[in-house]
Amino acid sequence: MSRQKIKNWLENVYNCPYLILVVVSSVVAMLCFDEIGIRLFDHNISAERTVSVVGDIVRAEENQTLAEPPVTLEEVQNTEETETENQEPVSENLQETNENAGERKEETDIIQNTEELNTDAQEAQTLQIQEEAQKGVTRFLPYEPLEIESRYYSDAGKIALTTEYPYTLANDSYFNDAAFLGDSRTLGIYDYVGLDGADFFCDNGMTIFKLLKDDGVTEQSTGQKVDLKQVLQERHYGKIYMMLGMNELGYGNTTMYMQEYLSVVQQIRAWQPDAIIFIMANLHVSREKNNMETEFNNININDKNVACARLANGVDIFYLDSNPMFTDSEGFLQAEMTFDGVHLYAKHYDKWRQFLVEHAVEKESPGEVTE
Amino acid sequence: MLFSSVGFLFRFLPIFMIVYLIVPAKYRNVILLAGSLVFYGVGEPYFVLLLVLSVLVNFALSRYMFWEPKSPQNNRKKKAAKRRKRALFLALIFDFGALFVFKYWDFAVENVNGLAGNRILPVLSLALPLGISFYTFQMVSYLLDCYWGKVSKRAGLIEFATYICMFPQLIAGPIVRYGEVSERMAERRIRIRDLENGLKLFAAGLGLKVLLANQIGTLWNTIMTAGPGNLHVIVAWLGALAYSFQIYFDFWGYSVMAMGLGKMLGFRIPRNFDDPYTSRSIAEFWRRWHITLGSWFREYVYIPLGGNRKGSARTVFNLFVVWALTGLWHGADWNFLLWGLGFFLVISLEKKTYGKWIEQSSVLGHIYTLLLIPVTWIIFAITDIRQLGAYLANMAGIHTGGVLVGTGQLVRYLKDYSFLLIACVIFITPFPKKWYHKWKDRWFMILFLLLIFWWSVYEIVVGSNNPFLYFRF
Repeated sequence: MSRQKIKNWLENVYNCPYLILVVVSSVVAMLCFDEIGIRLFDHNISAERTVSVVGDIVRAEENQTLAEPPVTLEEVQNTEETETENQEPVSENLQETNENAGERKEETDIIQNTEELNTDAQEAQTLQIQEEAQKGVTRFLPYEPLEIESRYYSDAGKIALTTEYPYTLANDSYFNDAAFLGDSRTLGIYDYVGLDGADFFCDNGMTIFKLLKDDGVTEQSTGQKVDLKQVLQERHYGKIYMMLGMNELGYGNTTMYMQEYLSVVQQIRAWQPDAIIFIMANLHVSREKNNMETEFNNININDKNVACARLANGVDIFYLDSNPMFTDSEGFLQAEMTFDGVHLYAKHYDKWRQFLVEHAVEKESPGEVTE
Repeated sequence: MLFSSVGFLFRFLPIFMIVYLIVPAKYRNVILLAGSLVFYGVGEPYFVLLLVLSVLVNFALSRYMFWEPKSPQNNRKKKAAKRRKRALFLALIFDFGALFVFKYWDFAVENVNGLAGNRILPVLSLALPLGISFYTFQMVSYLLDCYWGKVSKRAGLIEFATYICMFPQLIAGPIVRYGEVSERMAERRIRIRDLENGLKLFAAGLGLKVLLANQIGTLWNTIMTAGPGNLHVIVAWLGALAYSFQIYFDFWGYSVMAMGLGKMLGFRIPRNFDDPYTSRSIAEFWRRWHITLGSWFREYVYIPLGGNRKGSARTVFNLFVVWALTGLWHGADWNFLLWGLGFFLVISLEKKTYGKWIEQSSVLGHIYTLLLIPVTWIIFAITDIRQLGAYLANMAGIHTGGVLVGTGQLVRYLKDYSFLLIACVIFITPFPKKWYHKWKDRWFMILFLLLIFWWSVYEIVVGSNNPFLYFRF
């Protein structure tokens, strides 16, 4: 009798192979992958990986003082052990200039409101220090930072402003020796800004971590994946524009991001010693898209922007912040300019074009104001 | 909680199913009800109270409808009829009142204020309780069925609450009528075959949602991101096509998952879609698209209004009401009303003029439907009227601001999405369904469904680690 029962049961079981496959594979998967299973081990990857030279520098600074020494190439060259084989010696005069021009100046005014990333403040600050004419200074506006509990980012407590410099107007051929490296927003520049002479290497979902890896980046003019390492060694560029950081918002943390950015910039510098590198700010997101409960918000974007802005030296690395053109008084991307809260509508790229044209740097005479 | 989430697939569902299967059959309704409230409460910790309140009010009124005082009375029949009317009236006021406040208040008030020129009524900005449109309709259907005496065996509190809250169909339908589940509600046996088949169906639905709808949705997003107004005519149509695919596979996938889950629980949840995109007229499309909603409006609005039995003028009016309401049911905005009324116009025209002719000629009918449907979905998708106008103009080849998204981008889109588009085209035909039913017990199909399941899970996991996977920047 009970044998009959068991037999029936086994027959039933035999008749539902899919159920068994799903259940068994689910149990196995839940034991193996903590994304779907119960977290058996707490993988704290970020903590392990952040122990690094740049990380230490950043932490040391943050503990001590608001005034930031520049994160310069040679400094990292001295301290960083892993990347040395790729380093080309940086020219003497560059080092000299870095000593004063590359310094970051902290403004004393504290902006209380976290969200007040407005242009007014920027203009006021600019006017105030114009007499000093501190060329090549990248300023940071401090504000009262928020407490952020996230393993991905913290509130930088300051806003990076476009590197001060007597920028010139770009002429028609200016962008002919330019390369743009970036994610989907750079793809937007390719699609809608219409800088025909420039080379564009960008992909949706591109990150600073993937940029120089073997998987390659799509060269938009041909639609083919190319190995950027190779391209940058073979071709000669006068200007390299970089804009990366959106897809990094939920990956690693800001220190890792900065470290990787730095090493990429070093790498590019080694291959392209004459190129002026423009680090472009990541565009903020709209109020609707801004989500403080995830890592997807303007505080995090600003954190990334401040991190990469610190690489600017005002000599051959510049930080360009195009946010003021597109954001409202609270720093949100204007709702009517975007569908998804992240990307500009095609028609608004005109402004960006204007911005890029207005922020040209003439390498030959960096000391003269040509306007 | 969404079906396509790790929390549902690997936490809620296994735990719930184990409990559900081991408890004695008579407690299954209670377990299902409790599980459903947990399912709803995880995502809507406050609105679950509204749901419970609605259930209690509706149940009380459904009982009051047939309540008879013990003491002898004069005019017994008259009073009973009055009571029934009163109960129904109160229930409708409560149900549609709640729906109006949460869903339509702001829309109505903004328009009233706009007309009046100043703020005479406050905008509430309430969040929309998840699934309120669906469960409200289900409760109303029960009350009306009771009122009309269509319910043979009226539900007890637990049964009624379970019927409304049952998690497979609570959030996004199908809108089940009590008669369709009452038998199983009272008694159901769950055979292991049902678990097997239900799970297969669920995996198929999950695949439709995660592997087709979500993926093709990125194409639509990409095109919208570039911005309506500057789209090449082909890009505009490609976008409309992508959205048509997305909304269909999303909703169909969800309904199939609901059917699968229903099967696993011992119910038979009616199907909601019957290859709508293979229709030969818009009227036929609506007989095959969101079937349970269409039949709700037919049963509870169109026929009570007199249907087509009161002369042609009245028929047109009835159709107008049904389609205006269908439009508004989908969302509180002008574009939804426009969308509904567009169907009213087309379906009336079909009824009066070319409908017969077009349904006879199969090729012409298909072309006609396939050209019109994407246009209707664009009206559905774009809430901003000015943008909607710009997009429709682009589809007609009219550009006021110049073409910024042209053939260059088109080539890239086609390159990136060609396989997916082909897959989508295959899945709007009746063949995949036929193959599924023919081979669902064969080993290769079982392995294929297993692959679909785990592939979907992979996409969900990658997507939830990076919630913006489908918005890759």
